[in-house]
Amino acid sequence: MTRIRATARAADKNTPAGGAVQLLRVPALEIRQGPTRRLYTFAIDGKKVPQFAAVSRVRRDEQKQLHGYQRPEVLNHVAAIRRYIESDDNPLLPNAIVIAFDERVKFVPATTPGNEPEGTGYVRTGTLQVPINHLWEDVDKPGFIVDGQQRCAAIRDASVDAFPICVTAFITGEHADQRSQFILVNSTKPLPKGLIHELLPTASGALPTPLRVRQLPATVLERLNYDERSPLQHMIQTPTNPTGVIKDNSVLKMVENSISDGVLYRFRGDDALPNVGLMFTVLANFWTAVRDVFGEEAWNKPPRKSRLMHGAGVISMGFLMDAIADHHGPGEDLPDANEFAAALKTVKDDCRWTGGTWDFGDGVVWRWNDIQNTPRDIQRVTDFLLGRYRASLTTGNGRKAKRRR
Amino acid sequence: MKFFFPDSQDQVDPSFDFITEERDPFRVRQRDDLYAHEVLQPAPFDGLLVSKAIVDGTAAASTGKYTVAQRHRLYRQGAQAFFRLNTGSTQLKIMGDCGAFSYVNEEYPPYTVDEVIDFYDGCGFDYGIAVDHVIFQYEPTVVRTDPRAAEWVRRQEITLTLAADFWKRCSARDVHFTPVGVAQGWSPESYADAITTLQRIGYKRIALGGMVPLKTYEILACLRAIDNVRNRNTQLHLLGVSRYEDIPTFTSHGVTSFDSTSPFRQAFKDDKDNYYTPKRNYIALRVPQVDGNAKLKKRIQSGEIQQDQALRLERTALQLLRQYDTGQVDADPVLEALQAYSAVWDGKSDRTAQYRQTLEDRPWRTCGCTICGTVGVEVIIFRGSERNKRRGFHNLYVFGQRLRAQLGKDDS
Ligand SMILES: [Zn+2]
Repeated sequence: MTRIRATARAADKNTPAGGAVQLLRVPALEIRQGPTRRLYTFAIDGKKVPQFAAVSRVRRDEQKQLHGYQRPEVLNHVAAIRRYIESDDNPLLPNAIVIAFDERVKFVPATTPGNEPEGTGYVRTGTLQVPINHLWEDVDKPGFIVDGQQRCAAIRDASVDAFPICVTAFITGEHADQRSQFILVNSTKPLPKGLIHELLPTASGALPTPLRVRQLPATVLERLNYDERSPLQHMIQTPTNPTGVIKDNSVLKMVENSISDGVLYRFRGDDALPNVGLMFTVLANFWTAVRDVFGEEAWNKPPRKSRLMHGAGVISMGFLMDAIADHHGPGEDLPDANEFAAALKTVKDDCRWTGGTWDFGDGVVWRWNDIQNTPRDIQRVTDFLLGRYRASLTTGNGRKAKRRR
Repeated sequence: MKFFFPDSQDQVDPSFDFITEERDPFRVRQRDDLYAHEVLQPAPFDGLLVSKAIVDGTAAASTGKYTVAQRHRLYRQGAQAFFRLNTGSTQLKIMGDCGAFSYVNEEYPPYTVDEVIDFYDGCGFDYGIAVDHVIFQYEPTVVRTDPRAAEWVRRQEITLTLAADFWKRCSARDVHFTPVGVAQGWSPESYADAITTLQRIGYKRIALGGMVPLKTYEILACLRAIDNVRNRNTQLHLLGVSRYEDIPTFTSHGVTSFDSTSPFRQAFKDDKDNYYTPKRNYIALRVPQVDGNAKLKKRIQSGEIQQDQALRLERTALQLLRQYDTGQVDADPVLEALQAYSAVWDGKSDRTAQYRQTLEDRPWRTCGCTICGTVGVEVIIFRGSERNKRRGFHNLYVFGQRLRAQLGKDDS
């Protein structure tokens, strides 16, 4: 239905049926970019954007002709931005929304002296005149949102009275032109994960939820990599520490496992902030013990020379840390490096980090460098280490395991 | 009679906000969530059935329902602490099994007897079911020597051999759980044969497997055949059978426990019996998330349906339901809104008549469980796992009530 009316109207865009067309006048800058390209930049209340600009949803008509170019709103992304606008007491959305206008929109330069393109060569002030009509449906509106549909939807839904935003606009009669601009602004490469993780500890405020959750592990990792009391100082490979031997991801995984289900959970701070200091202490104690027990041969070597520095080694040792700490006692009663070392010695002789073969008891010969950084291999090594450790508790050094009932 | 609920990592998140549909982003799964036995008083079951396949995965599907970190915490801290069994008023038991349905298509069970004992003892379970191999078919007239029975005989023999081995290894290893044998069969006689062998091995507790698809009279036929060979002190467990009307009858045949997920799963799997009350079941009111309904999502992505239109219909339906609950509107506009939205995401069924009964009877108002008391009308909305699982918990509560009534237990 909408489609038919839109086609009929395309012939006579200036006189849509019903209701008088009003002109929205906004102060704007015109910037000359290419030989015939003009960009317009202005500010407007985000709540007013739907009056003159729509999102052009991609679809095909009965003849399989392509219309529009946008995907649907990503609802949880919209909700995250809305939450930010509503709950932050000082919200900031610095990126401009990009809008493509059709030729019904006009720029009228101001007639003040010195406001000629020749003056600065590329910029002049003026007023952008945008036709609006409350009866128009989306396809009748003169503007299409090329970039920023999630932000516009969030401002539209947010329970705030107004939220001024920056808009960058251009005028074109060509849908193909809009489409290529849309592809251009949306095909940029996202930041590499490692860089994001490295920036996280010192970022605050407007972060999407998954990154806020990663902030704590990333902060703990930073302490491990840069605190001079850390046995892992400068050993974790990040964009600014490319010579580190342990992949940042392996350490993040180890820390995250322990925060969700291991000893670090005790310090996540239910009502207060997480205690990063205590998290660091227990990790430093443990990895100091690992360094002392397994010695130089396996320590600070690239993973291809030592599986202890490999994802499988780091993550499985993390589970062993949790097991030793749990056995030691609850709350803030933590093993020191010597106590961790005593426990690690019970599994030391069974480990093959740098040579030889593991005996997992499955009848298969696992050469030390057969172990890969896969969930299956990590599970294999972890089960083996924990099994050995548990066995040592029931038989070894006179201590009897605490029975659970 | 003890009712065990099979664990499948089903908890609810207490931080979930029904209006904004958001949760505390820092919530840790399982640890900060609540089990049915933590939410409901009294606990709606006597224990949990925890299966190795769900915790550890099988070789074919290496990932269980547990994360590696959760799995290690279960082994480390034991079932008592992990499932928080003593937080409620009732002390719950844990029964372990292998999850034979997950490897029903394999030639042979994928676990060794020692691995399974490690699992039960390592986690500190109360009962441990021997390794078994399910027989799906029920053919009461087919005898053991019939060529059609070859595969069933093979599976029964595997199960009995493993049961003998399990018993021997449990005694040698001095385990802390009670070993439970499994009888698999395809007919009353074959079940009875299995019981005879298991009793000879030494089992005093025996689980009956493969009975999930059986009709009540078929189960009873098996129980009667078993009666002829059963020692007086042998206790039976029915795996996956939950007909509370028949439970008193089962009791007279030596059944002392059973397990079932169906009260829970019907909340979001059944076509109409989604919400239990002591007298009857009701259909839940379907308002799927625009984002959570695969068919609707595809139609929106293809441009066939406008996203904002779908969102508007969804929000209107939710809003009217809440207004109905507070007495601001009648049932009719609510039913119209549900139907208007249904036309977009479903388009086939018209459930208006059933919905009207649910709405007009307002069963959530009279339910005494904590879930209904806390979340009100949200419990009856078929939408997302936080609502659906809460309704499942409520059903467990009602199932517990029905069961106690059947057994003549006082429910004060
Ligand atoms: Zn209830």
